[in-house]
Amino acid sequence: MKAIGLTLRMSAVAALITLSGVSPWASAQDSERATISVSPGIADITSLDPHRASLIGDKGIVAEMFNALVRFPPGSSDPAALEADLAERWESSDDKKVWTFFLRKGVMFHGGYGELKAADVVYSLQRAADPKRSSFSANFTALEKVEALDDYTVKVTLKYPDTAFLGRVSNYHGGQIVSKAAAEKLGERYGQAPIGTGPFAFSEHITQQYVKLVANDQYFRGKPKLGAIVYRMIPSDSARELAFASDELDLMLGKREQRWVERSRARGVTVDVFEPAEFRTLFLNRNIKPLDDVKVRQAIAASVNINEIIRYAGKDVADGGCSIIPNGYQGLDCSVGPYAYDPAHAKALLASAGYPNGLKLKSVVSNAAPQLPIMEIIQAQLAKAGVTLEMEVVDHATYQAKSRQDQSAIVFYGAARYPGADYWLTEFYDSASAIGAPAAMSNFGHCSVADDAIRKARVEADPQTQLELWKKAQVQIHDDVCAIPLFGLKQVWAKAASVDYGYVLHGALNLQPPVTELTTVKRDEQ
Amino acid sequence: MIQFAIKRLMLAIPTLLAMLTAVFVLVRLVPGDPAAVMLGDQASAESLAAMREQLGLNQPIAMQYIHFLGDMLTGNFGASMTSGKTVLQEVSLVLPWTLQLTFASVLIGLVFGLPLGVWAALRRNAWPDYVGRILSLTGLSFPAFVSAMLMLLVFAIHFRWFPVIGSLVDGGFVSQLHALTLPALNLGLIMTAYVMRVTRSSMISVLGEDYIRTAKAKGVRPMRLVLRHGLRNALIPIVTVVGLYFGTLIGNSVLTEIVFNRPGLGKLILGALNTRDYTLLQGLMVVFALCVIVVNIITDIVYGLVDPRVKIK
Repeated sequence: MKAIGLTLRMSAVAALITLSGVSPWASAQDSERATISVSPGIADITSLDPHRASLIGDKGIVAEMFNALVRFPPGSSDPAALEADLAERWESSDDKKVWTFFLRKGVMFHGGYGELKAADVVYSLQRAADPKRSSFSANFTALEKVEALDDYTVKVTLKYPDTAFLGRVSNYHGGQIVSKAAAEKLGERYGQAPIGTGPFAFSEHITQQYVKLVANDQYFRGKPKLGAIVYRMIPSDSARELAFASDELDLMLGKREQRWVERSRARGVTVDVFEPAEFRTLFLNRNIKPLDDVKVRQAIAASVNINEIIRYAGKDVADGGCSIIPNGYQGLDCSVGPYAYDPAHAKALLASAGYPNGLKLKSVVSNAAPQLPIMEIIQAQLAKAGVTLEMEVVDHATYQAKSRQDQSAIVFYGAARYPGADYWLTEFYDSASAIGAPAAMSNFGHCSVADDAIRKARVEADPQTQLELWKKAQVQIHDDVCAIPLFGLKQVWAKAASVDYGYVLHGALNLQPPVTELTTVKRDEQ
Repeated sequence: MIQFAIKRLMLAIPTLLAMLTAVFVLVRLVPGDPAAVMLGDQASAESLAAMREQLGLNQPIAMQYIHFLGDMLTGNFGASMTSGKTVLQEVSLVLPWTLQLTFASVLIGLVFGLPLGVWAALRRNAWPDYVGRILSLTGLSFPAFVSAMLMLLVFAIHFRWFPVIGSLVDGGFVSQLHALTLPALNLGLIMTAYVMRVTRSSMISVLGEDYIRTAKAKGVRPMRLVLRHGLRNALIPIVTVVGLYFGTLIGNSVLTEIVFNRPGLGKLILGALNTRDYTLLQGLMVVFALCVIVVNIITDIVYGLVDPRVKIK
C-alpha cells in the first residue's frame, strides 16, 4: 500500500512536470545548434551498454556515444576500409598473434570521467570477452592476454592468428571502449547511463518516449555541428511515416519493401538503401526426420524458386545470394552458386527417398513483416513439389525460443554480422554452435560437414590458405544442403531534405545511418 | 465512506492474489526467454546462463513464486529485467500520460454523450433520435486505430493543426493540451457513443415512470423535470458504464497510444510482453488491477451520491 502511495505521488509529480512544461533537459538545450530527430523504429531501448547492446536501435544509439581502437569510416561497412579511431596507429607481429595499439592522447570521457588511458582499453576488452558482462564474448575467444605497456600503449596477445582481429576491436558489437571508472561505479546501471568518448553524450532516457544525446564539445575530432540527437520511440510504421510527413522527424527507419521505396521516392522523399543486407537463409534441421536424408534436403532446395522471392522483395532492397555466406563478406566464394529451381527434379528426389506422395514438415514462423510473407511464398513453392509445410505462426520471441528448442524442421533466419566468413561459418555452420550444444549459437541445421575446414581456417595465418579453406567449407555445406541461402535484405531509411550526413552513405554495420560531428540539419527558422 | 473503501480494498485482496498467481503462471507458460530477448541472438550459451542466474530465472519455479509473493506483500514490485528501473519508476513515468488521456476522453464522452442522449430520449423516434442513434452506432463500430489514422491524416498532415507525436519533448501546459486533443477526441468519441446510448435508453425508461407523469401534472417546469426528476434517476446505468469504460481505458487504450505516439500503461504492458519482462509484467498487472479496483470503489460511492436509495455499508 505504501508502494502504491509512492507511485501515485510520483505520478502526480510527473504529471505536474509534464503539464507545466518544465522539461528536465530543457536547460541543456543548445539554442544555437539544431537538434536532429531520429526514429529507429523501436518501442524502447533495452541497453545502451556497448557490451550488451545487440538489438536494432540500441546499437545505433551506442555507436554515436562510443569509439573503438579502430573504426569503420562513417558511411562504410567495408572491413578493408577500417581506419584509426582511439588508436593512432598499431603494429602486429609477423605471426599476427601479438598486436600493439598506440592510443591518441587527450581523448576525454563524457561526464568528467577523465582522459582515456590504456587501463580503460584493457578493462573494455576484458569485459567484452567476459560472458557474464558481455553479449559478444563469443567474438573474443581468440583473446589470451590484454596488458597496458604504459598509459597510452596496449598489447594484445592472441591464442591463434586471427585475420579478423581488427574487426573485433572496431566500433561494432563489443569493440567499443568504455570508461573503467564509470563502468565500475555504475555497475548494472551502466546500460542506462553510459559514458563514452563519442561525439554525442548520453543525456536522458524517458521510457517509451525518447533517448536524448547532447553534443560532446570535447570530442577529439572536433565540436559536433548539431546540438543534440533525439531518438523518438515510434514502433508503428504508419505513425512513423506520418510524423516524418509532418516534419517532426528528420531521419527514420523505412519499410524494407520495394513498393514503399518507390512510393516514397515518387513523393520526393530521399530514401537511402544501404549495406549490410540482412541475409535470409532457410536452415534444414536434420534432427527432424526425414530431413536427415540428403535427398529430401536436395528436393527442398530444388523446390525453392529464389528468383521469384527476390522479385517479390524488390530489386532495390533485395540482393540474391550466391553462397551460404552473404554477398560482400571476406571469404565469399560464388563458384557453386545457388541451388537450381527444378520442381520436377524435386519430386523425383522425393520419390527416390521413399516419398512418392510427398511429405509434411512443420515450421515455426515469426509474424514479423520481413519473415511471414516470404515463408508464405516458400510454403506455396514447396507445395508444388509435394511438400506440405505446416506453419505455426507466433510472435518473434516465441519463434526464437521454439527455433532454439529444435521444434522447427525449417528455420527461416535473417542476420547481419561482421562481414567476414569466419563470423558467419562459426555461428551458423560449425557443429559446436548447433542448437542444444554447450556452446550453442545459431546452427539450426545441425550442420557438421565443414567443421574441419571452418576450424582450420579460423587459426590459419596465411590469407591464401585461409581463403581456400573457406571455399572448401562453402562447397561442403552446399553439397550437404545444410541450408538454402535466399537473399540479403538491405537497410532502408528515409531522410529529410534538410539533413546532410557529412559523409556518403554506402553502409552502416550498426544498421542505421551514423549521426556524426559533421552531420547538419538546416532549419528554416535558424 | 473511508471504512467502506477500506473494506472493499480488503475484499479485493483474494482477487488480487488469484490474479497475481495467474499472471505469474501465465507469463512463464508463454514460450520465450527474457535472457535471450535481452542479450540478442549472438549471445553465447554461457552468457545466457549467466544472465538467467542474474535474473533469478534459474531458480525452481516454486522458489520464484515464493519470492514474488513475498516481494509483493512487502510492497517491493522489483525492477524491470530489461531497463533495470524499478517497476514503480516505470509506472510513474507513464501513469500520468494514461490518466490524462483517460480523464480527458471520459470528460469528452460525458460532455457530449449526456446531452445528446437526453435529447434523443426526449425526441424519441424523431430525427434527432435517428441521427443520434446512427452517430452512436458509427462511433461504436469504428475501430479506434482507424479513426486515429484518419484524424492524423486530416488534422495533423493536411491542416497541420496538431502534432503527430503526442509525447512532446518540451512545451508548456497549452502545448501539452494541444497534443492531447486528438487522442482524447479519438477515445472520447467512442465514449460519447456509449454514454449517449445508455443515457437515451435509461432516460426513455425513466420518462415513462409514474412519478414523472405526476411531476408533470403538478406543473414542474420541463428543464427541472428532465434534469432533476428524469436524469438523476437515469444516472445509475450511466455511472456503471462510465466506471467500466474508465477501467477498460486504463489498460486498453494501447492502439491509440501507439498511433499517437504517446506513452501509457497499455503500451508498457505490450512492451513487457514482447520482451518477456516478467517482473515488469507482474508489477504492471498489479497496478492495473489496483486501478480497476479503485475505479470500482469510486463507482460504488458515486451510486450512493446519485441515488440515496443505494446505501454504502
